[in-house]
Amino acid sequence: MSRRIAIVEDEPAIRANYADALKKQGYEVATYADRATALAAFRTRLPDLALIDIGLADDIDGGFALCRELRALSASLPIIFLSARDSDFDIVAGLRLGADDYLTKDVSLPHLTARIAALFRRSDLLSAPPAVEDTIERGPLRLDAKRLTAHWSGKRVDLTLTEFWMVHTLAKYPGHVKDRDSLMRDANIVVDDSTITSHIKRIRRKFLAQDPAFDCIATVYGMGYRWNPHEP
Amino acid sequence: MKPRRVALGIRAQLLLVLTVFLAIPWLGYEYVRELERFLRDAQERTLAGTAQAVATALHDRPRLFEVKAAHDEALTTERRGDTVRAPPVPAVAPPPPAAPRSPEIEQIIQGLSRTTARIWVVDRDLNVLARAGTLKGVPATDTPDTALPRLWQWLEREILHPLYSLVLTQPTNEFTEEQAGRVLIPAREIDGALAGILTIERRPTPDGRAIIVSAAHPIWVGDQVRGVVIVEQTTNTVLAQRNRAFERLFSIVLAALLIGSLALTLYASRLVARIRRLRDEAEAAIDEHGRARGAVAASTAGDEIGDLSRSFSSALSRLAQYASYQQNMASRLSHELRTPVAVVKSSLENLQLSPLPGDARVYIERAQQGLDRLAHILTRMTEATRLEQSLGDAERERFDLAAVVAGCVEGYRLAYPGRTIRLEAPDGGIWIDGAPDLIAQMLDKLVANAHEFGLPGTPIVVRLRRVDTVIVVEVENDGPLLPDAMPGRLFDSMVSVRSDAGSSAPHLGLGLYIVRLIAEFHGGSASARNRADGRGVVVSVSLATP
Repeated sequence: MSRRIAIVEDEPAIRANYADALKKQGYEVATYADRATALAAFRTRLPDLALIDIGLADDIDGGFALCRELRALSASLPIIFLSARDSDFDIVAGLRLGADDYLTKDVSLPHLTARIAALFRRSDLLSAPPAVEDTIERGPLRLDAKRLTAHWSGKRVDLTLTEFWMVHTLAKYPGHVKDRDSLMRDANIVVDDSTITSHIKRIRRKFLAQDPAFDCIATVYGMGYRWNPHEP
Repeated sequence: MKPRRVALGIRAQLLLVLTVFLAIPWLGYEYVRELERFLRDAQERTLAGTAQAVATALHDRPRLFEVKAAHDEALTTERRGDTVRAPPVPAVAPPPPAAPRSPEIEQIIQGLSRTTARIWVVDRDLNVLARAGTLKGVPATDTPDTALPRLWQWLEREILHPLYSLVLTQPTNEFTEEQAGRVLIPAREIDGALAGILTIERRPTPDGRAIIVSAAHPIWVGDQVRGVVIVEQTTNTVLAQRNRAFERLFSIVLAALLIGSLALTLYASRLVARIRRLRDEAEAAIDEHGRARGAVAASTAGDEIGDLSRSFSSALSRLAQYASYQQNMASRLSHELRTPVAVVKSSLENLQLSPLPGDARVYIERAQQGLDRLAHILTRMTEATRLEQSLGDAERERFDLAAVVAGCVEGYRLAYPGRTIRLEAPDGGIWIDGAPDLIAQMLDKLVANAHEFGLPGTPIVVRLRRVDTVIVVEVENDGPLLPDAMPGRLFDSMVSVRSDAGSSAPHLGLGLYIVRLIAEFHGGSASARNRADGRGVVVSVSLATP
């Protein structure tokens, strides 16, 4: 049975293009132009993944509201925001509503499909036992590259896909400086430097929430970031 | 040079206008003089009336005058002596008048006599037949009005009265009265009366200290004038009344003027204070680069100054709106462009996944490259807005600026391999409060700028120095000098001084704007100047140290 992806997007050309691309990947695609029709369809049948634009025609924050309603229907359904809006405020607001990822519209289709595949993999494997070969252990940090989950001292750190891939890139080679370009490449995103900076800030904050002594991600000014071994 | 104009404040101008009201005392003076004329006329009429009344009592009573005829002879000798003016008599106790020649007339006119008037009755030869009253009445003493405040009394006594006595003739009882003899000095009014006409004359006392008004009325016996009644009075009562009127008027006007100018000064001060406050606010609302810094609080006053304040406020807020529109234009534009770019991009990517003839791939490749550049521009355009947003909640920490700058310079040496980048910094750390990420971002912009402007092969110098309590970060390059046209605007949003020829990267004029934002976040400022040797440019950022 093929997976069913819902696209909620007010711009018909983008909607059709994404639908075509995803269909070529073998997904079943349902498209909706506004919040009301999308929600009505979701009530009848939940998709396996939802791709939501924030601004839906005149409903400027319609995507946020839809995400909240969808999250109420299902706690585990993967939700991706896909928006032209790229301010920190929108990203933080979107992720706080329970979205699994937030992408700006300049993401390329291969990047998008890679993310969708990763999210499906993560939701599939959450229940299966960890495959040893795909985990990275760095002191208290344990990254499961298959399920895309991160743990710090045994506790789950809730990272988005982008954040997970950044941590993965840094932690893979502790002590090596990773510049912003390689972080972007590995996280399948194209953004400007300050967005990387705010991503790193958000990652640090999530780890600090688990462990106030967390100091593993060091900024190397002018070059990039480095994973320092944790010294308890 | 502008001709220097006399600066006269609103208060001074208002007081100058107030001098117009100084004409009021003059008008009052004219009015009082009119009043005086009127009073004099009234006095003359009263005297004439008295003279007529006395004469009426004596008309057609020839017997009264016959007594005299016997003495005619003796009187002629006396007359000479009597016409000689008597020496001045003290005012307090006038000498008893000479014995009346005609007790009957005396009796009649005694009943008519008044305190301040003197009545004579003379016969045709100017022999005094009877006399009553005196010119020196009881002096009218001004009793001070106790209802008035003491200050006003003092003011009247010490300042106003001396002032009035300079302007006004004061009535006095200290004049010499012509000593009454048996025979009167011939005078015009008597001549007129002897000719049968009621005549009124005024003349000064011999010492000139008072004016005497005298009315002469003939006494008829049949159709013959047998004698003359003369009623005399000084103008002192009129003078006193005139003076009192003038003083009252002057005092009231003076008080009104004083209160008026005080009120006007207070009012003008308030006006001036409001205008000054408005001016200060308006000046503070726009900084030296012409950017609207804050809004003027619109006044709620309903008058014209309130209007002015409101229109200032609305003009400034429109200016601020425009400025923010200008600053957000890049971000909004990129936001609007992002959707069509996404349409093109996803279409091209879909196209790439379809089977295509070989040469079509080349064109798709080119379209993709162009699109990538466009996307890059869009990302750059939102950078400043994103920075502005993140400055609001950026966290400050204490960090070593020297270490951050040194680290960044290391990075630039890798990033720009063909360029020599020299770091000039003092030994030891420079600790400041701020956001190291932002400082690094600022240095990125400064060095990228220097690299693009710098002549190939020349070095870029990154200098860190301390001037008193200020840390100065300078980035210096050899290259074209700054244009004279916009020294202050260089650090504004979307202002670029580059000629676009020969460069491939987009120049949106946002780099130095970002530098300014970060410098201002650290309590500092950014400036650019030409190097002293005229062959290069120095962009410097000063940061405050705690």
